Amino acid sequence: MILVVEDSDEDFTALERVLKQSLCKAPIHRVRDGDEAIDYLYRQGPYANAEQAPRPSIILMDLNLPGTDGRDVIQQIKHDYTLKIIPVVVLTSSSNPKDVRDCYQNGTNSYMLKPMGLEQLKFTITDFLHYWLELAIIPDSSINQK
Amino acid sequence: MNLTEFITANNVNLNNCDREQIHLPGSIQPHGVLFVLSEPDLQVEQVSNNTEIFLGISPDSLLGQNLAILFDDEQIGKIQNCLNGDFENINPLKLFANFGGLSIELDGIIHRSDRGKIILEIERTDHPEDRSFFGFHKLTKSTLTKMQKAANLRELCRVIVAEIRQITGFDRVMAYQFDADGAGTVIAEDKPDEWETYLGLRYPDSDIPKQAKHLYTLNWLRLIPDVDYQPVPIVCHTQDGDNSPLDLSFSVLRSVSPIHIKYLKNMGVGASMSISIIKNRKLWGLIACHHQKTKYIPYSIRTACEFLGQVMSLEIAGKEDYEDLDYKIRIKSMQSQLIDAVSQSEDFTDVLLENSTSLLAAVGAEGAAICRDKEIIRIGKTPEIVQIQDLLAWLPERFERDLFVTDCLPKIYPKSENFQAVGSGLLALAISKIRQKYILWFRSEQIQLVDWAGNPNKTNRIESDGSLTIFPRKSFEKWQETVYGKSLPWQPWEIDGALDLRSAIVGIVMRKADELAAVNLELQRSNSELDAFAYIASHDLKEPLRGIHNYATFLLEDYGNILDAEGTEKLGTMVRLTKRMEDLINALLHFSRLGRQELNMAYIDLNNLVQIVADLLRISSDNNHFLIQIPQKLPMVQGDRILIEEVFTNLITNALKYNRHLQKIISNAGRMPTPQEFLEMSNESPEKLVEVGFLDNHPPNVKNFMENSPNQFWTIYVRDNGIGIREKHLDSIFRIFKRLHSPGKYGGGTGAGLTIVKKIVERHGGTIWVESNYGEGSTFYFTLPK
Repeated sequence: MILVVEDSDEDFTALERVLKQSLCKAPIHRVRDGDEAIDYLYRQGPYANAEQAPRPSIILMDLNLPGTDGRDVIQQIKHDYTLKIIPVVVLTSSSNPKDVRDCYQNGTNSYMLKPMGLEQLKFTITDFLHYWLELAIIPDSSINQK
Repeated sequence: MNLTEFITANNVNLNNCDREQIHLPGSIQPHGVLFVLSEPDLQVEQVSNNTEIFLGISPDSLLGQNLAILFDDEQIGKIQNCLNGDFENINPLKLFANFGGLSIELDGIIHRSDRGKIILEIERTDHPEDRSFFGFHKLTKSTLTKMQKAANLRELCRVIVAEIRQITGFDRVMAYQFDADGAGTVIAEDKPDEWETYLGLRYPDSDIPKQAKHLYTLNWLRLIPDVDYQPVPIVCHTQDGDNSPLDLSFSVLRSVSPIHIKYLKNMGVGASMSISIIKNRKLWGLIACHHQKTKYIPYSIRTACEFLGQVMSLEIAGKEDYEDLDYKIRIKSMQSQLIDAVSQSEDFTDVLLENSTSLLAAVGAEGAAICRDKEIIRIGKTPEIVQIQDLLAWLPERFERDLFVTDCLPKIYPKSENFQAVGSGLLALAISKIRQKYILWFRSEQIQLVDWAGNPNKTNRIESDGSLTIFPRKSFEKWQETVYGKSLPWQPWEIDGALDLRSAIVGIVMRKADELAAVNLELQRSNSELDAFAYIASHDLKEPLRGIHNYATFLLEDYGNILDAEGTEKLGTMVRLTKRMEDLINALLHFSRLGRQELNMAYIDLNNLVQIVADLLRISSDNNHFLIQIPQKLPMVQGDRILIEEVFTNLITNALKYNRHLQKIISNAGRMPTPQEFLEMSNESPEKLVEVGFLDNHPPNVKNFMENSPNQFWTIYVRDNGIGIREKHLDSIFRIFKRLHSPGKYGGGTGAGLTIVKKIVERHGGTIWVESNYGEGSTFYFTLPK
């Protein structure tokens, strides 16, 4: 299961479209901001029912989010013993070297730039899916589920 | 018995005359007797070899004896009191020697030598009546009154020479004043009317060696009653181990250096006496008394003269301070005004320029130059700008405590001979050497006629061994010298004023530095805010842009089949425009980063770098058929490799992009063409050509940019056979987003490339410019550090 943290509907639509076209079978859950992402991961608020919030095997996250910022969400995840094993991949339009450095310093597993144009987005997402869902071995999310 | 070692240098020359140990002559003048006594038993350890004549007793009979052999208990008591510092019995001691039934009245002068020996000198008393306090009072009282009444220094000197001549009876009495170079000038004289005057004559520094001047500061009075005297050696017991010469620095009978004797004889002097004038512990001058024949002055009179000399010393300080009082007051008020104005100002240079008259008057200068960074502003009579620039290159090493003063610049800085008419005198203040802030004041040349007492330059001879032998002048006749390249001397109060001004200016500079630090801090903060802003702005702008782009693409993908051709084309344009806008945003972001980005400076081999750029262009662009000429091996430059690569990529891309020539492969074999051939080739050849090279000499217009370091930069150029640039556009092509062609022509572009190139070159301390022949091609020149 991929948790997508993305506030922009347009960007999400594009992402969803590319994911569909890539024939990706992985289920996606989208949250719109940092607070929602935290609620989801900690199964609180609207996600109090654990059934509604299966633990994601990977998080695809935008950085500049309304409310709790993406950087803070990453920090919180990577400081949490149980959550930090979930790979966090940043997909953002910020190329600020400081953001890149800070993200990796806080344990982000990969940092990607949102490309301009659907074609480029397709390449990016295809590579992302290929790498993280096929090549890379990531901890079994079911094992970690309580 | 053994003669103590003579130190009267027989062979004094200029190389050693300053070291001649004139305080250790080993002999005395014959007008008295010198005893060296042990303490506390007052045994005679050494004695001058003239006791027989003086006291009627041989030196042998005295050596090893107690002083009681000559003096009774009362006299011995006087001597001992003197040693105990009983100043009621201070020198001269009135002593009576009793020997062989005779009683001789003597003047005794007593002091301790440097090795703790007691030195007793005795002379005969000639004028017992003047011995009393009243005698002394009579001698000095009227003189003191006259001295006090003297209105100025000149008059004071006139009074003292007349009075001393009156008291002593010398033929000629003169007052000398020493100048900064040590030369003495006769400033007052009293003499028989018919005698030739020495007034105004100057005597060179070398006339009185340094150590003689030193002795003049230790002893206030020195008497040579007879220049033809035979020195009397000082004798001691053979068995005495101590053979080292006796220090006679404080002795009144000390023998005279043979050179000085020769000098006096050449001058026609039979006897001389000199009284020191000391101001602020330094020898200010001398009262010199000359007599044609021999002349002995008894100790009591000498004491009176010495006393007058001491009073004179005190008086001159006051008189000198009052000298030119009006001028000093005027200058002081100028200085205060200027300092006030400067202290209240924001920028000292502006204030100094506004008050240029005061600036000159404050130190009594005729011209001034204010130098800040590279700028030189001149006021009044000054050397030319170029001459001042040269001077500023020489000057910084010479400052002492940020001050440099001279009244004879041409002597130490020969280049100034070219402007000595306006700049023989220089008073320079360093405000900040790092920022190259200086104030220079100039004084014009004052051609002076100096009356020397004989030609001062002809007194020495170079010996075969290279040493100089000093010969006292034979002629003391007036010898005129015209002195060029000298200004009036800078007076202490003028220099003090300049230093006060400097303090005031430094105050401003410090205040400015504080303000600057605050501004810097603020700038730093707003810079990083701006930096963050650039990223956020680019991020937030890109998001909706991406949306527009993607949705237009969706429309094309999903509804392309139901749209007509016009609709499809419009959507296509929309997609293209969003792409272009993204390019602009990226370019802007890149440009804004350039100013702050730190440079990773390294040595770069341009041959290698240009090759890489060319290879990349061949792979990535459509312009894969072009020729890059490198007429001569390119130099190594210093720079940030990534940025310099960007410069070449940009310039070469432009060269290929704005080019209508065909793209045809021509082999790069054969010899490199010359620039002339290159031009011909590019006219004939249909191929796109780019030449990358460098200039051996900087063109004249570059030197202005880098006047400090024309040799620390290479001038590199990138030349093409492209479309060229109209002259009216040459200035604007470096402006950001300024484009000369519509997006459809020549493949389009953001219009930021050259702006970025310019910024990169400037970040490296270099400069960039372009030359172009419209329709024939352009050449971009830029400089990079070596």
